[in-house]
Amino acid sequence: MSLNRRSFITTSSAAATLAWAPKVHSASKDKKYRTALIGSGWWGMNILREALAAGQTKVVALCDVDSDKLELAAEEVNDLCGDQPKTYGDFRELFDKENIEIAIIATPDHWHALNTIAALNAGAHIFIEKPTGHTIGESQAMLAAANAAQRVVQVGLHRRIGPHHVSGMEFLKQGGAGNIGLVKMFVHNRGGKETPTKNSPPPETLDWEMYCGPAPLRPYNRMIHPGGFRHYLDFANGTLGDWGVHWLDQMLWWCDQQSPISVHSIGGRPVRGEAVLNELEQTSDAPDSQVATYQFETFTAIWEHRRFAGDGPEKSSVGCYFYGDKGTFHMGWRDGWTFYPDDPKKPVVHQNSDLQEPDGHNIQLLWADFLRAIETGKKPVAGIEVGHQATTLSLLGMLSMKLGRSVRWDADQQRIVDDEAANALLRREYRAPWVYPELT
Amino acid sequence: MILNTYGNGFGLTWVLLVGAVTIWIPTTVARGEDWHRWRGPNSDGISRQSDWSTRWPNEKPNIAWTQSVGTGFSSIVVRGDHAFTIGHQDGQDVVVCLSVSDGREVWRYGYPASLDDRDFEGGPTSTPTVDGDRLYVLSRGGDLFCFDCVTGELVWQQQIADLAEVRLPGWGFSASPVVIGDHLLVNAGESGAAVNKQDGTLLWSSADRESGYATPVLIPDSQPTTAIFASSRAYIGVDIRSGEKLWSERWLTSFNCNAADPILRGDRMFLSSGYNRGGALYQFVDGQPQLLWKTKEMQNQLHTSILYQDHLYGIDGDMDAGARLKCLKWETGEVAWSVDDLSPGGMSIADGKLILITESGELIISPATPQGWNPIAGGQVIQGKCRTVPVLSGGRIYCRSVQGAVVCISCRD
Ligand SMILES: NC(=O)c1ccc[n+]([C@@H]2O[C@H](COP(=O)([O-])OP(=O)(O)OC[C@H]3O[C@@H](n4cnc5c(N)ncnc54)[C@H](O)[C@@H]3O)[C@@H](O)[C@H]2O)c1
Repeated sequence: MSLNRRSFITTSSAAATLAWAPKVHSASKDKKYRTALIGSGWWGMNILREALAAGQTKVVALCDVDSDKLELAAEEVNDLCGDQPKTYGDFRELFDKENIEIAIIATPDHWHALNTIAALNAGAHIFIEKPTGHTIGESQAMLAAANAAQRVVQVGLHRRIGPHHVSGMEFLKQGGAGNIGLVKMFVHNRGGKETPTKNSPPPETLDWEMYCGPAPLRPYNRMIHPGGFRHYLDFANGTLGDWGVHWLDQMLWWCDQQSPISVHSIGGRPVRGEAVLNELEQTSDAPDSQVATYQFETFTAIWEHRRFAGDGPEKSSVGCYFYGDKGTFHMGWRDGWTFYPDDPKKPVVHQNSDLQEPDGHNIQLLWADFLRAIETGKKPVAGIEVGHQATTLSLLGMLSMKLGRSVRWDADQQRIVDDEAANALLRREYRAPWVYPELT
Repeated sequence: MILNTYGNGFGLTWVLLVGAVTIWIPTTVARGEDWHRWRGPNSDGISRQSDWSTRWPNEKPNIAWTQSVGTGFSSIVVRGDHAFTIGHQDGQDVVVCLSVSDGREVWRYGYPASLDDRDFEGGPTSTPTVDGDRLYVLSRGGDLFCFDCVTGELVWQQQIADLAEVRLPGWGFSASPVVIGDHLLVNAGESGAAVNKQDGTLLWSSADRESGYATPVLIPDSQPTTAIFASSRAYIGVDIRSGEKLWSERWLTSFNCNAADPILRGDRMFLSSGYNRGGALYQFVDGQPQLLWKTKEMQNQLHTSILYQDHLYGIDGDMDAGARLKCLKWETGEVAWSVDDLSPGGMSIADGKLILITESGELIISPATPQGWNPIAGGQVIQGKCRTVPVLSGGRIYCRSVQGAVVCISCRD
């Protein structure tokens, strides 16, 4: 690829090792890291299980605002390794009282920035789930805090290290699909109209006030917790802010972390119906379908998601298509990768996926890489810059959709060009007493 | 074509089974026993009927009739010539009585209910209960009905959530009503409620907390007579006369989804649920459950496992993620075998054989043994998604799809 690189990351990450690289511990395999998990829900426990399986984790503390989740997680940790973690409902108290070397953060997106910055201030290395923020300003503050703290931050983009992703990327970078002119990233599901669900008092076991935290305090609804928050824009950014980050990151990996010149997105809820939120009942409010266009100097990348209609004639419901002058390359999930040559007489090339269960991921490798980074000072594969850039692209898509026009992104300045209304959307108001993280 | 999937051992296995059947007949009880309630006549998921076979003409399941009952998950119960279930049709729930010989509708009773299809296809989730000439039905919204089985006449009706002053769990009530003496037990509230089965008057109720989704289970020979209710956060032993809680075993599950019934044998109790919860075996010591072992190898999200001889047969894992069929040793929880690519949708046992329907509607019969999964017969019976247990009664197997197809397969020559 003869691409003109224009990225703020290439300069800052040129060195393969971090400046503060510690001395390499030789007998490091015996080292057990005092670990805390913040957000002991579905994905948090998937990560913690892999961490325990790797053998270098002592779970000293768990934190969740749902005491049932805490109790379940503590019981499982005890069953798995005999550790008896302390349980907390407030991450600030946890970091005050415990001496934590590694913090795993898997709360809903709107908490990622405050959790991460608190953990960095406490001196921990961090495994943080994507996205690295709910608004771009949060992600910028996390990046700055991580660089200042000189701690390893690994973002949960396990697709950066999954075997079929690595081999697929090699295939692409060696020109297997030829010169790529268009990339399409997509996730499609089934679904239909959404009827509102009745609000109810939060369960006695849930600290709803603390769940909402910096986000507006909305009436509790069982569709939000657990897991449902991703479809509520107060807490997350819908499918583009969730799945989108993974596939945008694959695209960024392929193009060596270039920055787009402009971003435009449209979307809505034509099938699920208009969002409802009142005292009695509510629906989710994330778009059920969305298209975002990322214009780079030499190629275009498009995001498309639909939460209705299924796969239709397509062979796959998730992934990235890289369209080149030799054919179409599909980077998939469970279905591995497949290259379809433009000349139908040539053979299709395929590589199976190699995932861990449950839920088909590659956290085992990502965790091993995280530990390696801590021990050797080498950069982790999915460091904070990588996570920040993929997250930024997804959030720029959301921002353009809300704004109703395209935006030009200046990655060096981390600003939208000549559009103050747009720049105002890089951050949001926090609900008191929470304070929006400022760039330090 | 389809039979090819049952392997080369088909002929051989069948011969062996014919032998086995003749040996077992003398010990078999109650040939004519109807599958009259959830989990069958002995509330264990097992039919003792032995006078049935899968020697179908053309070696394909012999479909006697098909009927459409509406969307839902409710399974089929039988009383003599009649089969009963519930489905959602045309904007209401409908209780249907079908003739077992030809599937003809004998009577129907519609009541107002919404489809409520937010997290799944919707429709009723509980199975009716036959007791003598009465049929008891509980809707997701808490409407509780007593019908005359023969005429379909409504004998009485109650709104159990209002009557017991308890909230609905997230997905609505889904347990079957259970008859013990004059008591009709309903899993509503923290540790259930009981009404008089004759007239529906409230006998007792429990705290206004979310119930679970499992059907109450009677502890055999218990003093005082005890039933176990699944709440959203525990399994609770309750004195059925007074409603008093005798013990409670804390059992937290994501989404408060305690849906599998407890399984009892002797002084042991097995609990299980999905969402990565797993299973555990307890022993009652001085009337209190004490943990013997725990496992992640049997996570019953929707379906209760079946304890047959010394092994548990069950559907492990969350259905949407692709569940596995497993066989575990009851004593230790050790996995005897697991079939990972089957997508089981429901299962019962009759005369030593697993009767299983896959999610895509293939009926498969295989001996229930710890030696492994060795299907001896089967074939496609329903087009559609199946998550309802197939049941055997009177020589017929009844299968049902979520979309509401009921298929009756004849298993007598
Ligand atoms: N990398 C991946 O492939 C992947 C996959 C799934 C989820 N995720 C990410 O993981 C995160 C969690 O998602 P999930 O699906 O596990 O959701 P979940 O709802 O199952 O878990 C989130 C947990 O955080 C808790 N929580 C909320 N506020 C908290 C606070 N202030 N302090 C402590 N705990 C708090 C909630 O009670 C809940 O138990 C999300 O950011 C999501 O994007 C990543």
